[in-house]
Amino acid sequence: MTKSVPRIAVLRFPGMNCEEETKRAVVDAGLDCDVFMWNGPTEELVEYDGYVLPGGFSYQDRVRAGSIASKDEIVDCLFDEAQRGKPVIGICNGAQILLEAGMVPGIDRGKVQMGLATNIMPDRDGYYTRWTHLEVVNDGTCATRAYERGDVVPIPVAHAEGRFVSAERGLIEQLFENDQVVLTYCGPDAAEATEFPANPNGSTRSIAGISNPEGNVVAMMPHPERAARLYQVPSNLDGPWGARKRAARDAEAMFGPGPGLPVLSSLAGFFGAAPRGA
Amino acid sequence: MTPTAVPSTRTIGIFHTTDMELEQRLAEAGLNFSLSEARKVATILGRDPTVVEAHIFNTMWSEHCSYKSSRGVLKEHLPTDASHVVLGPGEDAGIVRLCEIDGKSYCVAVAHESHNHPSQIVPNEGAATGIGGIVRDVYCMGADVIGVMDPLRFGDPNGPNAERTREIVHGVVEGIWQYGDALGVPNLGGDVYFDRSYDDNCLVNVVAIGLVEESEIKRSRVPEEARDVPYDVILVGKPTDPSGFGGATFASRILDEEKTLSDKYAVQVPDPFLKRMLTVATFRVLDLVRERGVAIGFKDLGAGGIACATSELGAAAGLGIRVDLSRVPVAEPDMSPEVIACSETQERYALVVPRDFTPEVLRIFNEEFELPALCHGAQAAVIGEVIEEPRYVLEHEGETVCDASTEAITTGISYVRDANERERGGDEPEVPEDMGLVAAVLGVLGSPNVASREHVYRHYDGEVKGNAVVRPGEADAGVIAPIPGEKVGVAVAADGNPFLGALDPYQAGAAAVAEAVRNVCATGAVPIALTDCLNFGNPEIPEVFHDFVEAVRGIGDAARGIGMKDSDEPIPVVSGNVSFYNQSAAGNAILPSPIVCCIGRLDDLSRHTTIGFRNEGNAIYLLGRRTGELGGSEFMRTVLGAIGVSPATVRIADERAMAAAVTDLAERGLTRACHDISDGGLAAAIAEMILLTAPDVEIGARVDLAAMASAGAAGGEGTVGVQEACRLLFCESGGYVLEIAASDEAAALAVFEERSVWFRRVGETTGELGIVLASAEGGDVEVPFDAMARAWSGGATEVML
Repeated sequence: MTKSVPRIAVLRFPGMNCEEETKRAVVDAGLDCDVFMWNGPTEELVEYDGYVLPGGFSYQDRVRAGSIASKDEIVDCLFDEAQRGKPVIGICNGAQILLEAGMVPGIDRGKVQMGLATNIMPDRDGYYTRWTHLEVVNDGTCATRAYERGDVVPIPVAHAEGRFVSAERGLIEQLFENDQVVLTYCGPDAAEATEFPANPNGSTRSIAGISNPEGNVVAMMPHPERAARLYQVPSNLDGPWGARKRAARDAEAMFGPGPGLPVLSSLAGFFGAAPRGA
Repeated sequence: MTPTAVPSTRTIGIFHTTDMELEQRLAEAGLNFSLSEARKVATILGRDPTVVEAHIFNTMWSEHCSYKSSRGVLKEHLPTDASHVVLGPGEDAGIVRLCEIDGKSYCVAVAHESHNHPSQIVPNEGAATGIGGIVRDVYCMGADVIGVMDPLRFGDPNGPNAERTREIVHGVVEGIWQYGDALGVPNLGGDVYFDRSYDDNCLVNVVAIGLVEESEIKRSRVPEEARDVPYDVILVGKPTDPSGFGGATFASRILDEEKTLSDKYAVQVPDPFLKRMLTVATFRVLDLVRERGVAIGFKDLGAGGIACATSELGAAAGLGIRVDLSRVPVAEPDMSPEVIACSETQERYALVVPRDFTPEVLRIFNEEFELPALCHGAQAAVIGEVIEEPRYVLEHEGETVCDASTEAITTGISYVRDANERERGGDEPEVPEDMGLVAAVLGVLGSPNVASREHVYRHYDGEVKGNAVVRPGEADAGVIAPIPGEKVGVAVAADGNPFLGALDPYQAGAAAVAEAVRNVCATGAVPIALTDCLNFGNPEIPEVFHDFVEAVRGIGDAARGIGMKDSDEPIPVVSGNVSFYNQSAAGNAILPSPIVCCIGRLDDLSRHTTIGFRNEGNAIYLLGRRTGELGGSEFMRTVLGAIGVSPATVRIADERAMAAAVTDLAERGLTRACHDISDGGLAAAIAEMILLTAPDVEIGARVDLAAMASAGAAGGEGTVGVQEACRLLFCESGGYVLEIAASDEAAALAVFEERSVWFRRVGETTGELGIVLASAEGGDVEVPFDAMARAWSGGATEVML
C-alpha cells in the first residue's frame, strides 16, 4: 500500500472532548487524519505515521489528570512508536498523559519526571481559560518546526492543572540546557511572563510546552486547534493577530490560517508534507 | 433519607376515604398532590391507583411537568409559529431552519430551562445537573450541542445572607464549569444579576443550542413503523438509583429551610464523564440509523424519569408501552417499583428501535464504547416494548404495577388561577442638583450588576469544538461558526432585567425580548428565534399570577411587534419553561424574572461586529432617543438608593426599526463597533466600548450632551445641566451606540433614513483614553480611564471572592 499523504491518528480516550476540532486542524495542515479509539487494535495503530493526543478529561481526571489513560495498553504502543522516531504531540490533557507516561521529558525514559500541577492563580481556583502569548524557544520539534525561534504566538489555554513542576533537583535547568523547553508564556512583546495572567497557571519558569530530548514528542498545554483559523482569534487580543482579526472583512480572510496552525503544519513538515514556515 | 420501599401490591385507598384520612395517606406515601387531584386520579382510573400509578400522576401533574397553571396563558399570548419553524414548543427543544447549503437544510435546536431549586440547596450539583439536563433536551432531537448559556440571579452579596449567597455564587459557577467544560460544550455567555430578593431562591437558568440537519431530526415519539414491526424500548446510561426521586414535585413547591436536608435527595447527581461517552456513542448509533434508514424514537430522561419519558414516547404516537421494571439496570438492590419508575437519575436516554436493530444498539453502547467498564453499572438494556393498544403498562417482578391509558397519564391537568394587580405607588427621587457626574458614572460602572463578568466567564470553556468567533467580553452576544468550514454564523444572547420586573412585569417581559434582540443585532446577526424561562413565586397568590400573565403578555407583544426582519412574521418563541414557587417558606419571593434568549443568524460571519472602539477620529452615533425614564435603572438604585416608579417603556416599533438598521449596517460593512444600551444606560455603553478594546488600542470618546438632547439631528446647542445629563446618560431605554468611520457616514445616514430610526451624531472617538462629556454646564467633564477601569473590572470580582 502506497501512502502519498502521511496519516495521523488523533487518539480518543474516554472523556476527551477535543478530538473533532483537532482532527480538523490536522487536516487543515495537509495531513490525513482519523480519530482512533482507545480500545482499538494496536496492530492498526502502528500503521499510522504520527499521533496527536487531544484535550479533554480522560477518565474524568480520576487520581490525577492523565494518570489513568497513561496506563492504557494503547499508550505502551505509543511509547514504542515514539521510540522509533514517529512524532507525537500531546495537547492539554494529551500533554498530561505524555508526562504521566514518562514520554516527556524522557531524559530518564519511561519515568515520571514532571507533573502538571493545579493552577496557582491569585483570587481564583479551578479551570481557567485565556488567550496566552507564547514564545517559541525551540523551533526544531515536531510541533514547532514551522515557527522561527523567538516568534510570539497567541494560543489559548483552558485547564485546571497545567503548571509544569518537577521534584527532581536541577531538572528544569537541564531542560533549558537541552533545548527541551519548546514554548514559554510571554507578554505580547515577548517579555518573559513572570506574573498572572500572562503566566496563566503559575508554571515554573513560564513553561508552556516541553519535548523529549529528540524533539519528536511534545507536550503542550495551549490548544493550537483553537487558533487554527483567523476567525477563532479574539478581536480584542493584543498584538498583530488581534489587529488582523479586526481588519478581516470577508470570509476568505476570516477562514485564513490562524496563529496555531503552524503547530500542525510542523507535524506535516516532519514528513516533508508541508514546507517549513507554512 | 432515601425514599422507603413500599410493597408494589399496595394501592392508595382513595374511594370511600375522608379528606383527613386521605391527606394522611398521601403524606405517608410521599405524595404531594392535592386531595382533589388524588380523587381525580381515582375517577380517571375508575379504581384506587396503585402506589406506582399514584407516583406517576403525582409527577406528571406537578407544575413542573404539567404547566397546569401556565399553559393557557402561554398559549394565549406567545407567538410560536413562523415559516422557518420546524418544531415549536412541546417537545424537548424547539427547532428553526438556519440555512441551506448544498441542498442540506441546517437547523438550530434550542431548549431553555431552570434549575433553581436544586441550585439553592446544593449549588454545585444543582447547577451542573442543570447543564446536564438541558443538553440532553437538545441531543435527543438528534442535534449536536454547539453552545450553552446560563443566566444567573443571586442574592445580595453584601446583604444579611451574604455568606450563603457567596457560597452559592461559587458553587453554581463551579458546577457549571465542572460539568460543561468536561462534557465539551462551549459556554457562550449568559448574564448575572444580584438582588436581595434572590437570597432564598437563586435562579440558575440554562440554555442549550444545537445544530441538526432537518432530515436527521429525531422525535420524542414511537415511529409509525412500530405499527407493523416489533419495537423495543431501550434504556441507556447510568444505572437507575433513587437520586432525584420527587425532583419534579420538589421544583413545584416553595423551599422550606426545615426540609433542606431531605430535599437534597431530590437533587440528581451529575456525571459529565459518562455523559460525554454516552453522547459520542449516541452519535455513533445515530450515524448507523442514518446509514440503515431505520426509524427510531429518542427521548431524554428528565423530570419523572422512565415513567414520564416512555409514556410520552407512546402517547405521541397513539401507541402503548409495556416496561418491565425488573429489567431496568439499578444501582441498589431492593428499589421499589415507584422509585425505579420515577427517579430522576441523570445521564439516561430512552430509545425505541426496531427489534432487529436492537443488537446493534446494544453492541455500540456496551461493547464498542464499553459503557459498563467506564462507569459502574452503566449500560444499554432492553426494558420493554411498544404495544398496539394505547396503554401504559409497568410490570415488576411478575406483577402489573401500572395499567392505564397513555392518554390519561400524559394529558395532564390545568387550572385557571386568579390574577390581581399589585398595589403600586411611591415616589421617585429627583436627581440632586449637586450630583457629581463622574462619581455617578463610576458608581454605575462599579455596580455588581454592570461591572465586568470576567471573573465568571474565565472559568467557562467557550472555545471547545473550535467554533468560537466572538467570546463573552467581546460583543453583546456570543457568535459561533456552527458548521465547520462554512461562513454562516449563529449569535446568542440571554437577558432579563429583574428590576423592571419589580416595577412593571409587562415591561420586564417586553424589555427582556427587546434587550436579547438588541444584543444579537449588535453583533450584526438577524434574530430568528426566541426562548423564554419564566421565573416567579407562588402562582396560587393572585398578585404573583398577575405578574406572570403580564410578563408573558409583554414577551408576546414584543416578539410580534419587533418581528422577523423585513417580514410580517413574529420572532417565534420556540421553546421555554415556567418556574413557579421561587419563594421561601419565610415568604420571600423573587422579583418577577422573565428571562429571554434570542438566537440570530449571520449570513456571513466575517461581517460580525464587536463592542470595542476601533480607531480614533470616527463618528459616534446614538440610535434610540433617551427618554429620561430612570425607574429601576442602575443609576436610580446604585446612586440614588431607590428603585423608583416608572421604568423605561419599551418602544416596540422603534426597536424593530433599529434592529433592521443596525443589521443593515453590519451587513454592508459600515459598522466599526456597536454596543446596545441597557444596564447603566448610554454612559455604561460608551465606557464599555473603551474598556473592551484590545489592550494595545488606546481609544477614548468625546461625546456632546447637547447633541444627545437636541431636537434636531443636526446637533445641539447650549449646555446641559447635571440633572438632565443624568437622565440622558443613565436612562436605560433601548438603543445602540455605533462607531462609524468618516468615509462611511453618508452611507450610514442613508440607512438611518431608510429605516426611519431616531439617531444623533453625539461625538467622536479620540486618541485619549477616557470619556469627555462636552456641553456640560460649567465646562467639559472628564471621566478618567483608570478610575473607570478600576470600578468596572473590580465591581463584580469582589463579590466572587
